[in-house]
Amino acid sequence: MVERNLLESTLSGSPMTSAKPQALDYSPEAMLPDVKVLKIGGQSVLDRGRAAVFPILDEIVRAKDAMQMLLCTGGGTRARHIYSIATDLELPTGLLATLGGYVARQNARMVQMLLAKHGGIYIMSDDFEKLPLYFKLGCIPIMAGMPPFGYWEKPSSEGRIPRHRTDAGVFLSAEVLGAKRAIFIKDEDGLFEDDPKKNKSAKLIREISAKELLARDLPDLAVERVVLEYLPRARYCHELQIINGLVPGNVTRALAGENVGSIIYKS
Amino acid sequence: MSKLVNDDGRTHIVSPLMRESLVDRRVARTTQTENELAILPDVTLVSLGGHSIFDRGKAAIVPMADEIASLRGKHKFIVAVGGGTRVRHTISVAVDLGLPMGGIAQLVGAMEEANAVFLNALLAKHGSIVMQREHFWELPLYLETGMLPIVISVPPYHFWEPPAEGPIPTHGSDFGVFIHAEVLGMKRIIFVKDEDGLYDSDPKKNPNAKLIKKSTLSDLLENMPEELILDHTLFSVWKDARHVERIQIVNGLKPGELTRALAGEDVGTVITKEVSRG
Repeated sequence: MVERNLLESTLSGSPMTSAKPQALDYSPEAMLPDVKVLKIGGQSVLDRGRAAVFPILDEIVRAKDAMQMLLCTGGGTRARHIYSIATDLELPTGLLATLGGYVARQNARMVQMLLAKHGGIYIMSDDFEKLPLYFKLGCIPIMAGMPPFGYWEKPSSEGRIPRHRTDAGVFLSAEVLGAKRAIFIKDEDGLFEDDPKKNKSAKLIREISAKELLARDLPDLAVERVVLEYLPRARYCHELQIINGLVPGNVTRALAGENVGSIIYKS
Repeated sequence: MSKLVNDDGRTHIVSPLMRESLVDRRVARTTQTENELAILPDVTLVSLGGHSIFDRGKAAIVPMADEIASLRGKHKFIVAVGGGTRVRHTISVAVDLGLPMGGIAQLVGAMEEANAVFLNALLAKHGSIVMQREHFWELPLYLETGMLPIVISVPPYHFWEPPAEGPIPTHGSDFGVFIHAEVLGMKRIIFVKDEDGLYDSDPKKNPNAKLIKKSTLSDLLENMPEELILDHTLFSVWKDARHVERIQIVNGLKPGELTRALAGEDVGTVITKEVSRG
């Protein structure tokens, strides 16, 4: 039998198929530890139009010279419309994930047009390697929050809505860049025990660990469940902050590191 | 005709998911349906192992390419290639450098691209084409005209690879091949490796390892061998999948095994899953 022509390495000969992590020396280096990663909500902010979007962008522009920011956008009601029709057509999850990404991209382009005069620049999901240049030039990079899993999104036993949507994309972006916190700009004061739009007496949770929050097994949450599952294993992004962008000053305070809104932490 | 509603300051399009939280489990469950559309049900995905075939060079690759050329036009299939030893080397160096996990995941696809080019160089005269990975909507063109689409395997999770306990990305090539087949509604995947199938331990280390000729997904999930020839993530995802019914592992170093597998014969290891389908 003809032999394999193998390269010698710490992993040669290892099957790499096991569920168990391999014992390897690993001291990871953060790529851009100072970057602030923010998500502008789709349904919560962008679907409100000018009245909600402009004041938030004003706060971002005021802060931009003092820090590096990556803006990501959510999807919103058009994504919900796509998911509804795709469900009606009984399409697989991977198609929903691909199509949902289109809406987040439209939203990113809209934000870019508004921020162009302040250095807003639209980036694709694999443009992270150019971020150092954009920051050096004082730009505000803007991208769709949807992760690029698309057709490769895993099927779920609980419906066909993709589990990795824009919250997951924003968290995973913060994690790979080495940012400590991901900031989610929404239209409620933070994380509630129930949907505050439907239940007016729902209680605000100021601070909670991902583990505790998952253990509560709430039927609804302000962030995608996969993010809470990943947070305990995160190496960099240890906190998710959820703020109300409709309250003037909240974005500025969150960018300054203040604990406005709710914080979900790693442990 | 779609209607717009903006009574709460947000502009909504009327749809069953309007105003809903997509995180809400009760909402998510309403999107479950009994059936799911199979987009290309009669196509088979054939995966060629990087480590098991390509790393052996000409002696293994050329007979395999000849066999693939002889199957063209007889079956509709797509060939997915793995990366092999260069992927391990890449990850090993990247781990030592302390690159973030998403950064490691971003790197490996390039090593698979090289194998796709090798294979395409051999098969171009038989109508092969390296397909951009997500250009699925071109597949009817390739398949109906008898071409041989070649793709890389690793899923495009890239910088967004979710954190795992160790530094090694958990969404690797076998998983990528699986999802590729599943999302297009394919029923069969054939993994071409350098062993006769799935064993209860690694046959390269243990000469007494026993070949498992037939198994089911539920049996495997209950009784998972320590050292697997396919990635663990594949099996955990197969559980929630709708379309893939049969995964076969054959020995690509034995001429004719792939031909027999594509013809539906039970060579190598056959793993099946009961699939509910309408």
